Amino acid sequence: MIELYAITDDPRPPDPPLRAVRSNGLAVLYAPAERREVTSEALWRHEEVVEALMAERNLLPVRFGTLVRDAGAAVQAVSERRAELATSLDRVRGAVELAVRVESREPEPDPARGATSGRDYMSAKARRRAKANLVHEPLTLVSRESFMQNGPELLRAAYLVDRVAVEAFVDVVRRLQETHSELDVLCTGPWPPYSFAGGTS
Amino acid sequence: MRDKVLAGPLELDPFSPDRRRLENALTRRVNADPESVERGLAQLVLTIVELLRQIMERQALRRIDGGTLSEEQVERLGRTFMELDRRLEELREEFGLTEEDLNLDLGPLGRLL
Repeated sequence: MIELYAITDDPRPPDPPLRAVRSNGLAVLYAPAERREVTSEALWRHEEVVEALMAERNLLPVRFGTLVRDAGAAVQAVSERRAELATSLDRVRGAVELAVRVESREPEPDPARGATSGRDYMSAKARRRAKANLVHEPLTLVSRESFMQNGPELLRAAYLVDRVAVEAFVDVVRRLQETHSELDVLCTGPWPPYSFAGGTS
Repeated sequence: MRDKVLAGPLELDPFSPDRRRLENALTRRVNADPESVERGLAQLVLTIVELLRQIMERQALRRIDGGTLSEEQVERLGRTFMELDRRLEELREEFGLTEEDLNLDLGPLGRLL
């Protein structure tokens, strides 16, 4: 079995133990699969490998734990979706993913408990969303694409940001944090473009 | 993890539940012991219901913003979502699950799972 790490159209071979198998202009980067426990350490090791690859090339990260029989099976999987993968590669070319989460500094009353009417409940929800947008909207202006995710925080979102614009993006995050002292704003990255690697989102 | 923080509060505590959630999500995938199957199934089902609830609520907010709904319709929508919210919370407590247990999307890293 082999474990897949990334799909790229960059012709340079990866450093061992990683290897590349090519198919019609695309390359799958893989390594022999190790038998191992599924732990957060294993997840981070996978992540580190993908990040090292990402530093030098444009790529689509492959989901952690994706195993196939051999290089032939990897080629087959890629050739079946070649057009879609090529489009996705163009979409993320020259960009990385940054993640932002926002939480209120003061705990807020739970609308499900505090609300006395349906209208109250929806207004509380709308206020939460407006707060999230205080951060989200300015960040959409300094990113190529964005993706709001579900979560318990006020805001949990992923942004596709040009590599050269990462610093500018982080500056905007810092300014937003200064302006909105009632919020905690956390920005992490740069990540491989996990949220933008699929066909649509 | 620290070195992935580009900007954030000095104290990362507000966001710390994620770490536990990651461990939960990973161990749950490999421990399929029969005694926890019922709870695991409940967790899976409630996670999906919670996800749908959030998506529908977001759509409802957009419709309210659109201004095409009457007062009565808004009140009815709100009541429905509020009831659903409360009922889900009761079910969650019944199975000893926390709010975090129903949020398996871990941001960028979570998409790996």
